[in-house]
Amino acid sequence: MDLGFIAQYFVNGLVQGITYALVAVGFTLFFGVLDVIKFSHGDVLMLGAFTALALFLGLDQLASPAWLSLIIMLCIGILAMGLLGALLCKFLVLPLKESPPLNTLLITLMFGSVIRESVRLFFPNGSNPKPFPALLPEASINWGNLNLRLDSVILISTGALAIVVTHLIIQKTRIGLAIRAVAQDEETARLMGIDFKKTVLATFALGSGLAALSGISTGLYYQEINFSMGLMLGVIGFSAAVVGGLGSIYGAIVGGLLFAFLQTLGAIWFSVPAYKDVFAFAVIIILMAWRPTGLLADRSAERV
Amino acid sequence: MRQTVLQTKELTVSFGGLKALNGLDFQLYEGEFLGLIGPNGSGKTTFFNALTGIYRPAAGSVLLHGNDITGAPPTKIYAYGITRTFQRLRLATSLSVLDNLIIGNQRNLNLGLWHNIFNRKSFKRRLQEQIQIAEELLSRFSRDLAVHLFKPVSSLSMIDRRRVEVCRALISEPKILLLDEPSAGMTPDETRALMDELQDWRAQYPTLSIILIEHEMELINKVSDRCVVLNYGEKIAEGRYSEVSNEPGVRAAYLGED
Amino acid sequence: MSELKTKLVLLLGVALSVVVLYGFLYLEREWEIGVLLVMVPLGVYFLKRANALTYYQHAAREMPRFTWISFALGVVVLIMLLRHEDFALLMLTTVLLYATVSLGLTIQFGFAGVVNFAAIAFFGIGAYSMAILNQHFLHIPDLLIIFFSGAISALLGALLILPILRTRGHYAALITIAFGILFRTFLEVNDVLGGPQGLRVSGLEIFGWDFGNSFPNELGGGSFYVAYAIVALVLLATVYLITRLIEASWLGLNMDSVRLDEVASASFGINGPRWKITAFMLGNCFAGFAGAVYAAMYGFIAPASFNLSDSLLLVSIVLLGGIGNPVAVIPAAFLIVVLPEKFQVIQEYRLLLFGIVVILILRFRPSGLMPRGLRQYFAGRFG
Repeated sequence: MDLGFIAQYFVNGLVQGITYALVAVGFTLFFGVLDVIKFSHGDVLMLGAFTALALFLGLDQLASPAWLSLIIMLCIGILAMGLLGALLCKFLVLPLKESPPLNTLLITLMFGSVIRESVRLFFPNGSNPKPFPALLPEASINWGNLNLRLDSVILISTGALAIVVTHLIIQKTRIGLAIRAVAQDEETARLMGIDFKKTVLATFALGSGLAALSGISTGLYYQEINFSMGLMLGVIGFSAAVVGGLGSIYGAIVGGLLFAFLQTLGAIWFSVPAYKDVFAFAVIIILMAWRPTGLLADRSAERV
Repeated sequence: MRQTVLQTKELTVSFGGLKALNGLDFQLYEGEFLGLIGPNGSGKTTFFNALTGIYRPAAGSVLLHGNDITGAPPTKIYAYGITRTFQRLRLATSLSVLDNLIIGNQRNLNLGLWHNIFNRKSFKRRLQEQIQIAEELLSRFSRDLAVHLFKPVSSLSMIDRRRVEVCRALISEPKILLLDEPSAGMTPDETRALMDELQDWRAQYPTLSIILIEHEMELINKVSDRCVVLNYGEKIAEGRYSEVSNEPGVRAAYLGED
Repeated sequence: MSELKTKLVLLLGVALSVVVLYGFLYLEREWEIGVLLVMVPLGVYFLKRANALTYYQHAAREMPRFTWISFALGVVVLIMLLRHEDFALLMLTTVLLYATVSLGLTIQFGFAGVVNFAAIAFFGIGAYSMAILNQHFLHIPDLLIIFFSGAISALLGALLILPILRTRGHYAALITIAFGILFRTFLEVNDVLGGPQGLRVSGLEIFGWDFGNSFPNELGGGSFYVAYAIVALVLLATVYLITRLIEASWLGLNMDSVRLDEVASASFGINGPRWKITAFMLGNCFAGFAGAVYAAMYGFIAPASFNLSDSLLLVSIVLLGGIGNPVAVIPAAFLIVVLPEKFQVIQEYRLLLFGIVVILILRFRPSGLMPRGLRQYFAGRFG
């Protein structure tokens, strides 16, 4: 196998990895502030992609140029999912704060399946895969066996940029400070006069917005979306966050890239492509048995 | 010379870089009522957790009747006859009072799978014994409480829950009882009543040794034979309460705190 | 209450349930079912107001064994009443099998607090074991094969024990979810197991009786599903008995204690991992049994029947009934399996509606329709 092939795998893996990392960052944020897993995350991602698709179809009627459509799709898609995330948190997650963690997990799982089913049933012809418009430039460079597509480069940089921006929001802004304070210790944060509820809602909005971004990226990359895409992406994002260590943004990035790396490795090793997921999940389960709190955990999974 | 039941040597517990217990030498004599005091965060509960196997000591050793039991898991510690209560009650509140009590003595119900599932007669006999033991134990603490044997713990008042927790620790007739701040959440009257009940129990089981973590100094003064004072994970004083309470180091530790 | 009176009350309860169940299974027009759907809650409401429900509960607590046997016989009567109705019997058998799996889940997270979002995978392992063993080992009696299928399910589940014990809460949930997906993907790509097309399964033959034939005329005749329904009933009754005995013994007490507070339990000598392992293996074993019977009845299995959403459906059954209450899973399984089949409108919107129902339950009635009561060790007084 020559260098071109390896580079090709590397680039493809990187696109995947960044998408996973975006999802994983969301999981890590929610867990950080509220110690909950919002399992509808993958379906919010899918809904983000479908919202963008619906917008595109509408804008297409108005003959809007591709770049303008894309910007509108991104902005509205991200905002709408951010709002949905905050609403979910307000009405389903926060009221269950005192009940067993399993209940929160279940209620969000079920909310996810409500979103999924709604798209399948109510989006026109929703049970079939939908073509997603190719709005990114289609240029590519050929270099031996490496075919570097411009859209891959754009997607990787956008994803990386989004993660950096999230990191900056958390480290440098007032709301970021509040998020960190709440993640550290809810009681103390309250005593310091931080509006707990507002902070949590903002975190959920932020994480869900990131999910919308990764949903749209996935659509742009594969040029196809379907109602059940969120399930797998959600589970993978969750795995990535957990393997990296819940509560740590770096962990989420490492986990996302690791999962993509494992899939790529699986795809190279096994002739049947679907084995790549079997392989990746098997490794994840083993890693969990070995390091129960993740590779880069900055605190234990559950306090004694 | 009184017999030493429990002894720790240079016991150290650390969390990351922080030493929650630092080289603690400690002794407990048979039949003794020992008060363990010190400001918040001085390592009292950590000490209990290290004794009962919830935390693993970083260094040092724990000796029970001269046998090294350092790092033994909690299940073993229970088998050795050391039981405890928790500062924030850890009862199974959705289960009945009876269930909670027989959890404390559950090894007596362990007849193996066969007897539990298939030979229900022998299980029933054993259970009836346990119910009787539980009923008697409860009524020694409070007559009214014994009536609630088949009610969920969540329906009980705070003091009754404390009583159930103490009974859960006593029902297996341990050699050492560790009480972690039983007065938390109770009125002084309630605490006094509970302590009187405990003293009655002691009168009947003179070899039982008790370690009591407590903030109410009055209470410590009244019930303890001896006190150990901790601060920042180290022992700063030891002796009768009247002696210890006058030591400048102890006063400084408490004044610094308040 | 005198003994005779208690028995009469219990029998009346069984008779009433059989009539209602017969109605749900036999009636086909949507308006008929609709009328029934309005009448049943109304009936329950009035029975509750007249204290008849409490009366019945007391009776059942006094004579648990009589209740159990009379209900099992009641279902036999129901099966015989429906003996010519293929579809109704198929539904009833599915309810019985789903209730069996749900009892496994009840032991797992209702008692010991081990989460399992891969119930359908263990059901599937049982089904595939049945398909393969029945094909390759013709001389092994089918009853034993059902037993082995459960055992294989439990053993493959044992692969997850280490990761589940070392992790808690969300982490353990992820592991079972990952396992469920892994299992399905594995089936799809594996040619030996038939790939996406699945496998044919030969029917059961127990004590020389070939289940493929219609029900013998000497016994009244009827569809070949009658035999499967009876096997599923025997399976459910056995599994229910085991579950109840576990609950009413030291085992159940320890499992509850581990679920509620593992640290405090350990301080009283209770070995948490031991109970979690027991619960996990036993629950998966139950799922495996049910899967084996399911495969033999349908005669055909494919990966598409073992989705994450089916696992969620099973979890919904446990939750709708009332976590940890073994009795509750039976009506809950009935509601969740039968209603969508009866309403074509619902059928399409099934998963959506379940999602909404479970969300509402979690939000407003987290202990389910029939909340679990205190432990009752023996008939009568204790508890």
